[in-house]
Amino acid sequence: MGTAPVRTGRAERLRAPLLVALWCLLGVDAAGGLAIFFARLAWGTTPAVAVHVWVGLALAATYTAYQIGHWSRVSPFRTRLDYALGLVAALTLTATLVTGLVLALPWWRARASGQPVAYPPLLSAVHNIGSMLVLTFVGAHLGAVLWRDRGRR
Amino acid sequence: MSIPPFSIFSAVSELFVTALVFYVVRRNWTRRPFPFGVFLVGVLFEACVNVLYMANRAAQASSGAEHVSTGLKVFYALHGMLSLLAYLVFVILGVIAYLEQRAGRFFFRAHPVLTWSFLALWTVSIVSGETVFVVRYLL
Repeated sequence: MGTAPVRTGRAERLRAPLLVALWCLLGVDAAGGLAIFFARLAWGTTPAVAVHVWVGLALAATYTAYQIGHWSRVSPFRTRLDYALGLVAALTLTATLVTGLVLALPWWRARASGQPVAYPPLLSAVHNIGSMLVLTFVGAHLGAVLWRDRGRR
Repeated sequence: MSIPPFSIFSAVSELFVTALVFYVVRRNWTRRPFPFGVFLVGVLFEACVNVLYMANRAAQASSGAEHVSTGLKVFYALHGMLSLLAYLVFVILGVIAYLEQRAGRFFFRAHPVLTWSFLALWTVSIVSGETVFVVRYLL
């Protein structure tokens, strides 16, 4: 079996609009989340939370659509490193999105009053940890897949 | 000021994790089998314990319950971001090194600039963390 069709197929999938949209949303939300993390710690402020929340909602919808198609293509689960990393990435991204949506509730309730939002510390910590692990394991998953293809040349 | 036990545990354990990171890189550098189990232990430990510690400390500091100068808070935040970056790079490079090893290649040895840059990044991250501990609790 030749490897060129595999790489060509992957190159096309990497340029697919849904995946490009997912990367863009993940990048914007990650950058916004890091800015909030930094500003909250350093100055006690949370800049552009509204953008972070709305982009997070779009990210959740886009990711759900992408993951359904992705899993239908790569299932069943195999005992390989790239699969394990992908599973960890998927679980942490899901956990981060869910905790993010839950954290958005007190923000939504408090947005009109102008009062500081009391985010639950434990949930906030889980969201922070999750976002860091998402970036790590999405990167590791992608690295493992691309490196596996490279090794086949 | 009394030092929280978890802070002591984290400050000490970071040194052990650093030894583990250098051990993984050195094994690969000297063309010996990649210690995947050791790598996995380090990755999981760092994720479960020290990132949790960092997130909790961040939540406490940002809540205003602790009286810390703005400069030190900025230093905390920079250290947190640097730790994230170092952890992210360690996991990705470790995974690639493991895959390369299976193909009979030694990734860290073959990419010395990348390897030394990563070790420098990791060292700065750890030194900044230990500095936070010393400044906060020992000075």
